[in-house]
Amino acid sequence: MRRRNRAWIRRHSYSFFSSLGVLYKHKVGTIMTVMVLGIAMFLPLGLYITLSNLDGMNLRQDEWSAVTVFFKPGTTEDDVRRVSRELETHLSPEAIVIISPDEGMADFRDASGFGESLDMLEENPLPWVMQVSPQRGTTEQLEERVAELTGFLQSLDSIEVTQFDYKWLQRLGRMMELGQATVSVLILLFGIAVVVVVANTIRLDVASHAEEIEILALVGAGNAFVRQPFLYSGLWYGLMGGLLAVILLGLTVLYLGRPLGLLLETYGSVFSLQGLGGQNTLWVLLGGGFLGWLGAWISVQRYLQRLKVGGRLGRS
Amino acid sequence: MITFERVSKTYPGGSRALADVSFQIDRGSMVFLTGHSGAGKSTMLRLIMMLERASRGQVIVNDRNLSNSPDKLAPLVRRSTGMIFQDHKLLKDKTVADNVALPLMIAGLKYSDIRKRVRAALDKVGLLDKEIAWPLTLSGGEQQRVGIARAIVSRPPLLLADEPTGNLDPNLSRELFGLFEQISEQGATVLIASHDLDLIRQTRKRVLVLSNGRLADDIPEGESS
Repeated sequence: MRRRNRAWIRRHSYSFFSSLGVLYKHKVGTIMTVMVLGIAMFLPLGLYITLSNLDGMNLRQDEWSAVTVFFKPGTTEDDVRRVSRELETHLSPEAIVIISPDEGMADFRDASGFGESLDMLEENPLPWVMQVSPQRGTTEQLEERVAELTGFLQSLDSIEVTQFDYKWLQRLGRMMELGQATVSVLILLFGIAVVVVVANTIRLDVASHAEEIEILALVGAGNAFVRQPFLYSGLWYGLMGGLLAVILLGLTVLYLGRPLGLLLETYGSVFSLQGLGGQNTLWVLLGGGFLGWLGAWISVQRYLQRLKVGGRLGRS
Repeated sequence: MITFERVSKTYPGGSRALADVSFQIDRGSMVFLTGHSGAGKSTMLRLIMMLERASRGQVIVNDRNLSNSPDKLAPLVRRSTGMIFQDHKLLKDKTVADNVALPLMIAGLKYSDIRKRVRAALDKVGLLDKEIAWPLTLSGGEQQRVGIARAIVSRPPLLLADEPTGNLDPNLSRELFGLFEQISEQGATVLIASHDLDLIRQTRKRVLVLSNGRLADDIPEGESS
């Protein structure tokens, strides 16, 4: 048994090195194939990175998911404070910001540039306003909490209207889902592309080694021995393609990171672009290697049909 | 070593290559197979190498009945049979030594053992000095001897040769047959398909004569026809 294992290892090391030798011998072809594979793998991974970065930004949930509450005219500050206290005891939201009509007017004056004209108003027409931020959580939890909050507020007499940009939240959530589904589809399609590209490359490889394969089979090589070097070639193609995709991603993150950071700074956001991460890198390499191996297997297996007993072997 | 029992072979499409052929070849003997082209010589060799299956009858080689062996045994059968081809079938992009080493690589031998055995085989065919030469730089006779070295390197009990002297002049052919005799004297069974009738007569070995897929004659050793 140990003898057989050693023979197995020797045969594998032979295929291992001969496959590397073949790839090295056809440098230009190898480089072109690896580039196609690398770019094919880069595209879905690029989109994946974009999405996970968007997701990671969290888009300052507490700020934009606040429910804005407009009180009826004539509501006093005491009424507003009471509502605020009730909210805190019953629903314990993340934050409550109260904006008095005066503060509102001041903000409006600054923001709108109607300064002078606003002075002509005899009294402040703005109502008391309250911004209530529900506790943070996933999009679904947030939707639930917002519904609870608005339900509670609308039952109160002193409140004119509550406003919440619910649609925005939903849309963002759905867009993320759509993006993730797109990534899945792209990974599937480009995964198939990788298999096909490797299968085609190996098919040509096999065809150019037809004579060698015939001789090997005639002197007693089994299918496994004939197959091995090609499977290794496929594995190398896939691994190198994966490596190239990872390198391209890294360079892209480096290149886009600074301008993107500067752009987001103007929005007051501190943000750094995240790369693929160690574990995902490993998955890309393993996945690429496997897809390459699979493509090679498909091609060689088709060819091996010819070596069957009663086939064309030895009839040149 | 080789037993054919009422073997027939019909190829798909209906052409009949062998019809009801029976014979037996003893271990360690050297036998010629002759007949006009298309008489079924190649088919017979293909059956012995398990490249083809008999349509009827039993082909028994080295105590193994090939007619009911599964396909996956074919590589094993070929590994225990040294085969020499008319067109040598050498790999042009590998050195002489690497070509001879192929069967041992396939068997997964240790590198140092492979080297030793390759040198021994090349020595036997008188090409030890051509170890690192490329096959295409050798003459036809030398290439054929590389083929023989490859066939005997794993010391198979059976050696088959398909028109080994096809492209060689009479002197080289005689030399080659001498080599086959030596190999057979060392215990291997040797079966040579050839239509070099003059040479065959000179060796006075047993001759199987095929004609239209039938065994037309079986001339025993020592008799010349």
